[in-house]
Amino acid sequence: MKVEVSYRKKLQELKTREIKKQGLDSEGSMLQKTTEDTQRGRPLNPELVEAASAVASSLTLNKKQTESELLAQLRRHEETTDKQKKGGTINLRNVISEMAVKRQSPAQRGVRISSRISLELDENGQRIKPGRLSPHFFDSRRSLKVGRRLNIFSKASTETENALETVSSPTIWDLEFAKEIAAITAQPPRNGFEEMIQWTKEGILWEFPIDNETGMEDDAEFHEHIFLEKHLEDFPKQGPIRHFMELVICGLSKNPYLSVKQKIEHIEWFQKYFEEKKELLQEI
Amino acid sequence: PCTGQARSYYVDWRMLRDVKRRKLAYEYADERLRINAIRKNAILPKELQEVADKEIADLPRDSCPVRIRNRCVLTSRPRGVKRRWRLSRIVFRHFADHAQMSGIQRAMW
Repeated sequence: MKVEVSYRKKLQELKTREIKKQGLDSEGSMLQKTTEDTQRGRPLNPELVEAASAVASSLTLNKKQTESELLAQLRRHEETTDKQKKGGTINLRNVISEMAVKRQSPAQRGVRISSRISLELDENGQRIKPGRLSPHFFDSRRSLKVGRRLNIFSKASTETENALETVSSPTIWDLEFAKEIAAITAQPPRNGFEEMIQWTKEGILWEFPIDNETGMEDDAEFHEHIFLEKHLEDFPKQGPIRHFMELVICGLSKNPYLSVKQKIEHIEWFQKYFEEKKELLQEI
Repeated sequence: PCTGQARSYYVDWRMLRDVKRRKLAYEYADERLRINAIRKNAILPKELQEVADKEIADLPRDSCPVRIRNRCVLTSRPRGVKRRWRLSRIVFRHFADHAQMSGIQRAMW
């Protein structure tokens, strides 16, 4: 396996470092840190844990200590990647300055370890590569906003916008320009997917699962559909016209396909019609 | 915005005329419905119904739905058109044999 072959050099390096570590008194602080780390929220990937235990077992010296230290570094590394993803500042320097012994940047070691071990898969099925920013950050130990200003550039003068110039109507040239821009920016779809996106924007493609009531929003409640007598106030209360309109209302109330507005429009049309024909009716 | 004639290509002039009839029928559908409601009545006086008769006759001739002919959408054939697909029998057979009609299979039983 690829992992085993490339491991040997790194393991030897780790061995030498572990020996140096054990010589120093900082182990206690590291162990304390590990116990603190275990209490932190995010559990590590079980595969990483297994790999760390495999590495520790391959190094014959003090398996448990090495395993715990490796896990602590992994956890710290994952914290830094989380922070970088969220865009927060890297507090590793603070973390390291707190630690008693100066070490070669543990972030780099964490990178090496977890870069071999990372079996996490992204959404696309590609492996997540650990954030590479952490080692680079240590190289440049300057920040952007520290130091005296050089005063080379002047601040961009805020352009005072005049009152909106009244344009009576867009000229033909403006329209042509706008059309040109629209034609250039609207590239033909590269995909079937982009084509479908365009169609849904235009409203041609239906939304699935198909909803029979798209575009129909009837906010009126049932009583507005059925009790239409209140619209009949302007009609005479007796006579054939009233009889006729009551039949009309009865029919409309039973119609589920019309909206309330359409029903009211029907009734109003009849109203107008009979008012126009009033003279005729009075002759009769 | 420049206004001018909107020209598109229908299969033939008969199809164009059919399209115009459909548009007018859609516009006048409500009015025709209401005037017919007055005419086909036993309650209202007959004079009113005669007036309504004249009114409906005054509407444009192409606004009545009876004049619409369900032509084939692709060939404008007036006969042999299946309603579900709006295609004439010849076009339908052509597409079905090339497996371009969804769910259509040659019958065999």
